[in-house]
Amino acid sequence: MQARAAATPLIEVIPASPGDRGAALGFALGWIAGHNAGLMVWAAADLCLGENGAPHARGLAQFGLDPDRLVLAQTKTASEALWAAEQALSTPCATVLCVTPPGSKPPSLTATRRLLLLAEKNDARCVMLRFDVLAPSAAWSRWRVTAAPSVGAARELGPPRFAVDLERTRAGGAGQSWLLEWNVHDHAFTDAGRVSRKRDRPLDGDLAAKAVDRSAATQWRRAS
Amino acid sequence: MLTAVDARARACGLAPDMPLADARAMRPDLVAVEAEPAADARVLADIAAWCERFTPAVTIDPPHGLFLDIAGCAHLFGDEAHMMNTVETRLKAQGFANRVAIAPTPGAAWALTRFARQRTIDDAHLRDALSPLPVAALRLEPNAAALLKRLGLKTIGHLLDAPRQPFAARAGEAAIRRLDQALGRAREALTPHRPPPPLFALRRLVEPLITLDAVLIAVAAACEDLVAQMHVRGAGVRLLRLSLFGLDAGVRAIEIGLSRPTNNAPTMLRLLRERLSITPENIDAEFGVEAVRLDAVEIAPIVLHATDLAPASRRDLDAEARLIDTLSVRLGAGRVTRPALQRVHTPEHADHWTPAQHASAGSVDDTPPDDGVMRRPLQLFAHAQPVEAMASVPDGPPVQFRWRRVLREVARAEGPERILPDWLKQPQARARDYYRVEDRDGRRYWLYREGLYDEAEPPRWYLHGLFA
Repeated sequence: MQARAAATPLIEVIPASPGDRGAALGFALGWIAGHNAGLMVWAAADLCLGENGAPHARGLAQFGLDPDRLVLAQTKTASEALWAAEQALSTPCATVLCVTPPGSKPPSLTATRRLLLLAEKNDARCVMLRFDVLAPSAAWSRWRVTAAPSVGAARELGPPRFAVDLERTRAGGAGQSWLLEWNVHDHAFTDAGRVSRKRDRPLDGDLAAKAVDRSAATQWRRAS
Repeated sequence: MLTAVDARARACGLAPDMPLADARAMRPDLVAVEAEPAADARVLADIAAWCERFTPAVTIDPPHGLFLDIAGCAHLFGDEAHMMNTVETRLKAQGFANRVAIAPTPGAAWALTRFARQRTIDDAHLRDALSPLPVAALRLEPNAAALLKRLGLKTIGHLLDAPRQPFAARAGEAAIRRLDQALGRAREALTPHRPPPPLFALRRLVEPLITLDAVLIAVAAACEDLVAQMHVRGAGVRLLRLSLFGLDAGVRAIEIGLSRPTNNAPTMLRLLRERLSITPENIDAEFGVEAVRLDAVEIAPIVLHATDLAPASRRDLDAEARLIDTLSVRLGAGRVTRPALQRVHTPEHADHWTPAQHASAGSVDDTPPDDGVMRRPLQLFAHAQPVEAMASVPDGPPVQFRWRRVLREVARAEGPERILPDWLKQPQARARDYYRVEDRDGRRYWLYREGLYDEAEPPRWYLHGLFA
């Protein structure tokens, strides 16, 4: 799933609750680490970096982010973070994580559209990590992330797991949920089973796969 | 004691080194102001900075002299005479009495300003012009000057005619060196108050400019000049400084670092434009900008990379370097960083982010753990947050803890990982036992217990970081 999903140029990630911000960050970082190409730019407004601690270089390296490719750009405001993301997306093959703080004015549809066009043009990827109100955006998909218990031997911890709900996609097929496990060595999420929390309706995995497939196919057509 | 007198006092017969009481006796209406050598030095330094609009190499010659090395700059002002007039009238307009002279050597220029009416000499007439001047024009020590006076050697011409050896033996090596320096027989090294850049481009504007766009046109021209000079050397600039000289005598300078040497004028101009547009105070000179100077403060050879004709990816290292420069210019170099690892045990000190423009690659060699379970958190608090925790056994992991007013029940835990503080830097600090814990909701935390249960002071629990 990761391989296909990573082909989408612009996605949005939001935590399901304030307590899931760490998980949402992990999911977003996994997404950009999975696109193994150019520079990884983490553009974040100050407010987002302080609240849950500062990025920890060793932890990021252990998570699988190549330190040689990682650049952290701290900005004062959310609009500066968007500016930094736009600059970064003008660089071929860059992957960008743009974090805007809760309470800031959400980026306009035009702004996200510009990010999308830049990303498509330069073969770049962008993940927008937001914490609150969601405005209309040009992103291909929106993922709501909840922390999920890991599975390890006895009472030990296992690799990080995330429960993700696909809230919206351009290609349709929203409303799916997955339980994903981050595989540090493959730089990819592996499917750890479906979750049907909160939702009491049958989930059609094929449909979800098709949804993402279709997005990838659209992009393929555009590229060729 | 009088240290300095103005023109009117001089006309009344007053002179420096005269006791104040005598002076007051001669002129009861004398206005005496206490000398402030420190303030004078500050003003002189300001004047030196102002003079940088004529040349980057300005040397301060205390107590009230300045040497301007105008080699290669005079043509910007028409010719040398025109430049000299400009300096003189502009300084006078600001209220500074001054004398200006142009000579092939600093020593000769010094002599002309203080002892001659003539204002310029060229190489050919150096000796003739200096000969009639008194020996004091050689910048001699007071006792050497007195000695020469006793010997009847009054003018520089006398010295030139006198046999060299005995003169050196009596007046000292210093005197003979001053003579050689004035005549250009010995080099005199001047130490400019700011080291001049290896390359610079100076643009003087006919009319003062007020708007950013107009200033940028002049800056663009300076960029072209600088690039042409760098091209000859096969070099690129790593540190660029733009000085804007305002008509209000202020100097505004901005510096821009580049992660790779560049000799591309559009790149340089783009970064300068970016910086100028976020710092409008740089061009708010009240009466406009009258000159711009672009210095290549640091230059480095440009290494050309062979073009990969069948690239594996579209990754473009030059574009990445440009991106880092652009971000650094707008956000500040210290806010665009790359991870580096410090070999220190305490986690809060091990973390280190260096400015991306100067970072050397490959400084973190922490590989992902085999089992895929992270040992270090993604986010680390600079100051660990105290939590109330309860452990089932004294040196075991917590069963539950309260952080941000929410009680969290521990479902899974691993540890302890004991980290001892640096005994050299923090001899009082206690050992820490770190635990990686996961609560019932699957959120993962990095907690530690400071101290042990059997110590006199009870142990305390802290939350230090968050995992994904």
